[in-house]
Amino acid sequence: MTIRLTVNGEERDIAAAPMTPLVDVLRDTLHLTGAKPVCREGFCGACMVLVDAVPTVSCLTPLVLAQGRDVETVEGLTSADSPMPVQAALEEHDAVQCGMCFPGMVVTLTHLTTAGRCEPSREAVKAGLVGNVCRCTGYERIVDAALAVMEDRP
Amino acid sequence: MSEIAERAVQNFRRRDARDKLMGRTRYTIDRGTAGMLHAALLRSEVPSGRILRLDTTAAACMPGVRAIVTAADAPGRAGLGIADHPLFAIDTVRYCGEPIAAVAADSERQARDALAAIEVEIAPLPAVLDMGSALADAAPLVHPGWESYEVLTPGGMRGGNVAWEASVDRGDIDAAFARNDVTVVESSFRVGRQNHLSFEPRAVLAHFEDGRYHIETSTQVPWTVRNTVAALLAVPASSIRVTVPPVGGGFGLKFDCALEPFAALLARMSGRPVRLVNSREEEMTTCLFRENAEICIRSAITPEGSIAGREAVVLMDCGAYGGEQVFLTTMTAHTLGGNYRLGAVRIVSRAVYTNTAPNGAFRACNGVYNTFALERHTDEIAAAIGMAPGEFRRRNVIGDGDLGATGQVFEGDVLAPMLAKMEALRERTPASLPGDGRLYGRATTVGTWFVFTGPSAATVNMNADGTATLVTSGVEIGSGSMMQALPQIVAATLGLSPDKVVVRAADTDAAGYDVGVGGGRTTVSLGAASRSAAIEVRTKLLKVASDMLEASAEDLVMEDGRIDIAGARGSGVTIAEVAARAQALLGPVAGTGSFTGAGTPAMEGCCAGHFIEALDIPVFAVHDCDVAVDPGTGHVEVLRYRVVQDVGRALNPSAIHGQIQGGVVQGLGYALHEEADVGRNGAIRQTSFETYRVPLAGDVVPVEIELHEGAPSIGPLGTKGAGEVPILNVGATIACAVAHATGKQIRELPLTPPRVLELLLDRAQAPDFPHIGSRHSDNRLATGTIA
Repeated sequence: MTIRLTVNGEERDIAAAPMTPLVDVLRDTLHLTGAKPVCREGFCGACMVLVDAVPTVSCLTPLVLAQGRDVETVEGLTSADSPMPVQAALEEHDAVQCGMCFPGMVVTLTHLTTAGRCEPSREAVKAGLVGNVCRCTGYERIVDAALAVMEDRP
Repeated sequence: MSEIAERAVQNFRRRDARDKLMGRTRYTIDRGTAGMLHAALLRSEVPSGRILRLDTTAAACMPGVRAIVTAADAPGRAGLGIADHPLFAIDTVRYCGEPIAAVAADSERQARDALAAIEVEIAPLPAVLDMGSALADAAPLVHPGWESYEVLTPGGMRGGNVAWEASVDRGDIDAAFARNDVTVVESSFRVGRQNHLSFEPRAVLAHFEDGRYHIETSTQVPWTVRNTVAALLAVPASSIRVTVPPVGGGFGLKFDCALEPFAALLARMSGRPVRLVNSREEEMTTCLFRENAEICIRSAITPEGSIAGREAVVLMDCGAYGGEQVFLTTMTAHTLGGNYRLGAVRIVSRAVYTNTAPNGAFRACNGVYNTFALERHTDEIAAAIGMAPGEFRRRNVIGDGDLGATGQVFEGDVLAPMLAKMEALRERTPASLPGDGRLYGRATTVGTWFVFTGPSAATVNMNADGTATLVTSGVEIGSGSMMQALPQIVAATLGLSPDKVVVRAADTDAAGYDVGVGGGRTTVSLGAASRSAAIEVRTKLLKVASDMLEASAEDLVMEDGRIDIAGARGSGVTIAEVAARAQALLGPVAGTGSFTGAGTPAMEGCCAGHFIEALDIPVFAVHDCDVAVDPGTGHVEVLRYRVVQDVGRALNPSAIHGQIQGGVVQGLGYALHEEADVGRNGAIRQTSFETYRVPLAGDVVPVEIELHEGAPSIGPLGTKGAGEVPILNVGATIACAVAHATGKQIRELPLTPPRVLELLLDRAQAPDFPHIGSRHSDNRLATGTIA
């Protein structure tokens, strides 16, 4: 069965079983290995992608539910070499350690820091990160970076 | 030297951050290659049993199957101290999850389907699932043939289910306890297992090419992998090459050989590259956990408040195979026996076999729970003699010229000034206590850790374009040491900026032996080897420059990419010009360096079975926190957390602060909610993120940090390891603060709401260890036991 969806702006026809987890399609078929299958049960957020602009765990999303939709992965957020504001702020705040959680973290924060989405306070940002686990950093620099992006927002 | 050290200090940004943020970094799990097969392991579903029949004939005929291997294909045994661990269960299974066979197939699905077709019949045997059962009279032996195993490191006592015993006897302990003026304080503690939960599971991609194995793997210890695969497969170590892509989290989990031998064997058998990755469930249930432990400690305190004698028994569950715990019995002397001046001391530390998944190394291994026990015991002592806990610590912390537990002479007063710094830090960062009916408490604790020194090698190649390439077997596991400290050290020595130093990823074919990345040793051991390699390059460059500039080498300075005559900036040439000239005249410029420990002595004859008798580089930590305990729910909220950490010299303060924040948060998980345990069926009960709770963003607070610099260290430029120690006394500090808030004795971690409620309702049972004898000698193997 062939399922058509848009990934990072390109229309793709995927021949796979409808219940194949989206994360496996992205990684194994499309070679987009940014999203990480870490817990495979929707807790860690390392496989987060945007589906029609909504942060979605790609491990629990069967391919068929992405049919006709617009999927954006961490690779699709940027073109060429320049990081987007969330990535630049995380780099500037020296937030990265092992890095495995960051593709998902970046996707969530990209959504969270869009205008009007989240109050620019530590509590609100932390609440917004409830679906993204990081085992290395202890989170605070990630929160600092998110607030910096939100406060610079015009 | 001092200018070089000053130049080395900077918040140089890690060069791997950008790709990690853009999702471009290729970890081992992201790698693949044409023609690659996928492997899967058949694992035991019982904790103890005899394999009656194992038949892979049907499985071998399944679609896509290319190779199947079993114990018959891997004859060797490996281990740390004792070679007790075969690759596959041989005749006997000893834990739930133990590998029995491995399959490689065209797809992962086919490999897993083939596992189901392997016919295996196992007759269950009685299992010992906890240390109490393992040490009971007439307990079944996990290794009935333990006496026949090859001993790799002599010195430890062994016997039955005691895999290894290390002991310390210094001074007349019986006399100390027999004094009629001492107060005797006795406490016992129990802790469960902690899962590293590194995001990247253990993963490997193995190739067999030109008669050699090439193993790409997610590991902290490429040389251990090389040597262990060789031992298990009974092939020469030189036939194995290990390379390491960026590692997605280690924390000690990857400080041992893991999946590599299975993939290597299957690659040889199939002639194809083989990928093997643990599923999250496999990762959870066969995690080389921070071990569960049981601790009894007893002290004789003089009327003046000094410690006349201290006696302790520590039992560490090593699971079905000795592994890291055999080595870690060593650390009890330095952690539980640390922090304070002791008159006499007697400690036994035992690794105990059980029919459970093997435990392993985890950031500040052994130290985390021993510091919890020691610091709780210290607060109990202070209460027993009516002294404030802070005052007791100020009087008793180890200082310049004091003897450690093993009789090592400590240098410098470090803990005392750190305690003073913590007092000031507390005053600057007061907690606001909302007065909402919750119980408030605070605590300050101290901790002793070390740098695991040992052998490291480095080569620095000076390139004619003015850049340098650093070649080591170091691995970037996330801490940033390979991205920051190492290039900073080399660059400062050569007068370059750190971005001009390229660091090669680990490759055992390219760089010499290294113990591995862990134990706080990267900046110290690899750093020292890198520095001495860089010094050789520096000397060669200065010699060529001195000819070019007609000035003596002593009058030259190397700085900002130039070699100039001192005091006359611009008088000289660029380092690139010197390197190019040297290359043309003498050939390319390179330097090599190596390092190992200093061999700091302990007191003659006072310890047995220790892999490390004295600490080359002690590392100290002072932690402090304020907590609020909800008397209705038992929930503990951390209001403020503060750290004063002994770092020797902080080469990259921003990186160290990042390590402290992350390490403390991992410790908060251990203190408050992370616990894995073994069910009645012998399997680990926490099989996923759903059942094993790690800290989330909403659980944490920003840690207030002060770095203590200047304590003695043999590390390069006066450095100490800074990434491992931040987790050391978090469990201790939270426990002491909760005890202070509630007025209850705390004997176990983690302090989950149900456990705290039990304490508040006086329903908590103090741990009772019938298998730990009341006389110390009851807990020691008789001299003459096989060593």
